[in-house]
Amino acid sequence: MEQILANGVYLGSQYAMIALGLTLIFALMNVLNFAHGQMYVIGGFVTYTFYGQLGVPFVLALLMSCISLAILGALIEKFLFAPVIKGSKREESTMLLAAGIAFLLDALILLIFGEKQRGVPKIIDGVFNWDFRVIMPYDRILICVLAILSIICFICFMQYSKTGRALRALAQDRTAAQLMGVNVDRYSMIGFALGAMLAGLVGGLLVTITGINLGMGGPTSIKAFMMVMIGGAGVISGAIAGGIILGFMEAIGLAVLSQYGDITYLLIFVSLMIFLAIRPQGLMGKPWG
Amino acid sequence: MENITKRQLFNVGLFLFSIFIAVPLIISATGRWDFYFTLTSVALLAIASAGVWLTFYIGRINIGQGAFALIGAYVSAILVVKGGISFWISLPAAGIFAAIVAIFIGMLVLRLRGVYFAMITLVLTQVVTLTALALPITNGAKGISSIPLPSGVSLFGIPILPDFATMANTKLAFYYTACILMVLTYAALYRLVNSRLGHLCRSMQQNEELASSIGVNIAHIRIVIFAISSFFGGIGGAMFGSIAQSVYPSSFQVADSVNFMLNCFLGGLGYVFGPMLGTLVLYFGWDLLFELGKYQMLVYSIILIAVIRFLPNGLLSLQFGKGARK
Amino acid sequence: MQRRALMKAAMIAMSMTALQTTTALAENPVLKIGFVGVTSGPAASWGISNQRSMETRAAWINETGGYKIGDTTYDIEIVSFDDQKDPKRAIAGMEKMAQEGIHYVVGPNVDDGAAAVRPVAEANGIMYFPYAFPKSLYTKPASNAILGMVANYQSGPAIYKYLMKEKGVKTVAFIAANESDPLSQRDSGVAAAKALGLDVVSDNVTYQVDTTDFTPVLTPIMRERPDLLVLSGVSPANAPQLIRSARELGFQGVISTETAQDAGVLTEGAGDLANGFISVGGASTPELASPMMIEFVDRYTKMFGEYNDESNTKVYALEYILETLKADPAAITDVTAFQTTMDRFEAPNPYMKGDAKLRYVGMSSFGQRRQVAVPLVVNVFQDGAFETLFVAEVD
Repeated sequence: MEQILANGVYLGSQYAMIALGLTLIFALMNVLNFAHGQMYVIGGFVTYTFYGQLGVPFVLALLMSCISLAILGALIEKFLFAPVIKGSKREESTMLLAAGIAFLLDALILLIFGEKQRGVPKIIDGVFNWDFRVIMPYDRILICVLAILSIICFICFMQYSKTGRALRALAQDRTAAQLMGVNVDRYSMIGFALGAMLAGLVGGLLVTITGINLGMGGPTSIKAFMMVMIGGAGVISGAIAGGIILGFMEAIGLAVLSQYGDITYLLIFVSLMIFLAIRPQGLMGKPWG
Repeated sequence: MENITKRQLFNVGLFLFSIFIAVPLIISATGRWDFYFTLTSVALLAIASAGVWLTFYIGRINIGQGAFALIGAYVSAILVVKGGISFWISLPAAGIFAAIVAIFIGMLVLRLRGVYFAMITLVLTQVVTLTALALPITNGAKGISSIPLPSGVSLFGIPILPDFATMANTKLAFYYTACILMVLTYAALYRLVNSRLGHLCRSMQQNEELASSIGVNIAHIRIVIFAISSFFGGIGGAMFGSIAQSVYPSSFQVADSVNFMLNCFLGGLGYVFGPMLGTLVLYFGWDLLFELGKYQMLVYSIILIAVIRFLPNGLLSLQFGKGARK
Repeated sequence: MQRRALMKAAMIAMSMTALQTTTALAENPVLKIGFVGVTSGPAASWGISNQRSMETRAAWINETGGYKIGDTTYDIEIVSFDDQKDPKRAIAGMEKMAQEGIHYVVGPNVDDGAAAVRPVAEANGIMYFPYAFPKSLYTKPASNAILGMVANYQSGPAIYKYLMKEKGVKTVAFIAANESDPLSQRDSGVAAAKALGLDVVSDNVTYQVDTTDFTPVLTPIMRERPDLLVLSGVSPANAPQLIRSARELGFQGVISTETAQDAGVLTEGAGDLANGFISVGGASTPELASPMMIEFVDRYTKMFGEYNDESNTKVYALEYILETLKADPAAITDVTAFQTTMDRFEAPNPYMKGDAKLRYVGMSSFGQRRQVAVPLVVNVFQDGAFETLFVAEVD
């Protein structure tokens, strides 16, 4: 039981971080960013290159991931999403753009970083073993703590900084924010960059544990969508809740349902569908997000 | 239907001429026989995409068409292989079965809107794939392979449909079958959009509450539309299974569901024939770029991004933009 | 207006590529060999290692003056098609090969693709070498598929037998990804283990292909404390993480798989924890590699920057095609000639030390010769490299 809880906390914290960036972008621009997973993968590869290949200290490599993804995000928003949103009749059209970007990033990752699974040396060795009731390697504990810390930092940033307030205003009501003197274009770009940066940060953190390969992008995006839906689209607390719930669902589901084998995930997905059918806006979402 | 102009009739005639006569002629002239399969695929995927487009028409983003295509493929394969039934009966049966499944699922999920509906249909695709892996009747992970080719059909001793297995050129036969199905699908779609039901759908796309308040039974319409949409998916999937002569849980998966949706976006959500064009460009485009080797994906995605960047309302908006300026 | 010009330019560019003809002027006539497999997306590593080993070998042959079949010397050209692991695309790829006039194709890499291309291959007279294990592909009435490697139902029993004898393994647990290929491999692995009298303590734990954290997946298995944990059909990306999670959970037994792995990936992903991990490999370990194999690895590394150990098992298909054509030049355009030659074909294996032979086998598994005889090399991972544990033959 303790082990299941520990697994749940660990999974939940990393999932929540992945979902955060996605939901931020969705809240600001109503864009479902299909390329979120690819951004996560790029973040992982950047950290791998700097920390694993060039021997730069881990924290610096992590910072490089954040910076490169933030720049990438800002460019994508400014030159692709912003003009398309302005020009399209139905805002869902951005999904095609997002998918195109996902394909593009996938192609670039393959060309630049290759097809192999990559990993970096462990940051700390050793396994925490509490009488075989909770077994958790130290590096996982560290990453889990770092993830929770980053989430707290992010919430504080959104709550108390000027940029954060502007972003929240933008998410609530674009027109009203504009009338109140928020530079909508600029903050949309900052928001997108921030969302991409979060994806890069998780990628960089998790490369130390799960490694990274080019195939992780698409599935990561899909998982992130699910978390966002569970919690409620476009709501930051919802993304965190969704991540933690999915983390626990997996941890508990895999432990309890293991004797049913192949259908564990089937049951997880079906229960997700039933949940959404009963509560169409997720836990705390705006009804028609 | 009364307001079909001569020009439209001419265009339809031209289109039919080109797919049924011009394309085979060009192919036999250039010797690019491999294009038959690609174009057959385009026709079949366009059928499934037409379904997705229809759900867009009531304001729903559908990323679940892969699920219904897979259901259709399995129903047809099981009927043909285990039931020994003719493929031509299993084909409509596959569509109807997919539609029935859609009615049950639709009752649960059609209340959802926007990204929530998109998400739940995406999850549905995975659910169906995983179900196919787990069920004994679908043969689980081993899939169903060695499905016989469609057999001949004769009525009162007169052969109506030839036996595909004895045919020298099954490629051409499949091509014509797929094209006929596609034409029928789009004719039905066009008729539907320009019917009373179509008008009701448009009103729902604008505002469901408003439509409901003026007496439109939105719950009913939603389910009918979703069922029709899934029927198309089932037909497309069943036909594919018959060409590949095998069905696996991975025959249609999330990537396919997403592609069906992208086809609609690319062609243009405002145009009935948008999904057909979108499918052609997306699927055929990939094939044409085959010579680029490892840069294929790169170029493909850049073209895709460029198109949506400059034509955010889909390819067909090109023609309409010109019309508006006149 | 600008838009239209842009679209027009794009259209022209696209049609140009479509109509492009191969105008490369080679001194020798060109023999085209096809590859249809997955070279993008999550499973890219399978197809890419395959494609690259073919390209390496082709470039090597061309550089040294071409390949002599009958009286003609050919340059070898590899035509590859990315099927994105989608059976629908795989069919299109096989059609493309037929269009190019190719009769010998390597791939596809997975079960569903291999089954889907069968009608096209048989209709167009194409022999293809899938890396997929379903027996229905190779037993009659199927005629044109040749298994390009050792199937897991052949290598599995050999490994289990060895471990029972040498390590006293008595209980075994299986884990597989929830996907066609791995599940089929798990099922045949379980059957083989039971036939050998092993006690299968767990055979229904699966994980999603996109799993990144295997600790919760493995936890229930670890409670059973098996002597041997088999990772059925594990992809090279998942193997190091599974090993790491199992070891971190305190697993003491042996871990093995029946697919080929890459030493570099294992080192990066699991480090010392992967020591003792047993997998199937080709012949690149120092004990077995012939000078030709060493040169192959060398050229591959030069061409693509980094070697992939998965390629060890994948160098053979092209060599088999060429050697068989050499034995019967009529087979270049005539697949039935190839099929009759297969029954009596034999040539020395250039990649392995000793007197191993290239020949077609599969009588006991498929009832007809539809498998290449590659040495069943079982490797163990030790401190960053593979060591050969034992070598066996498939009949």
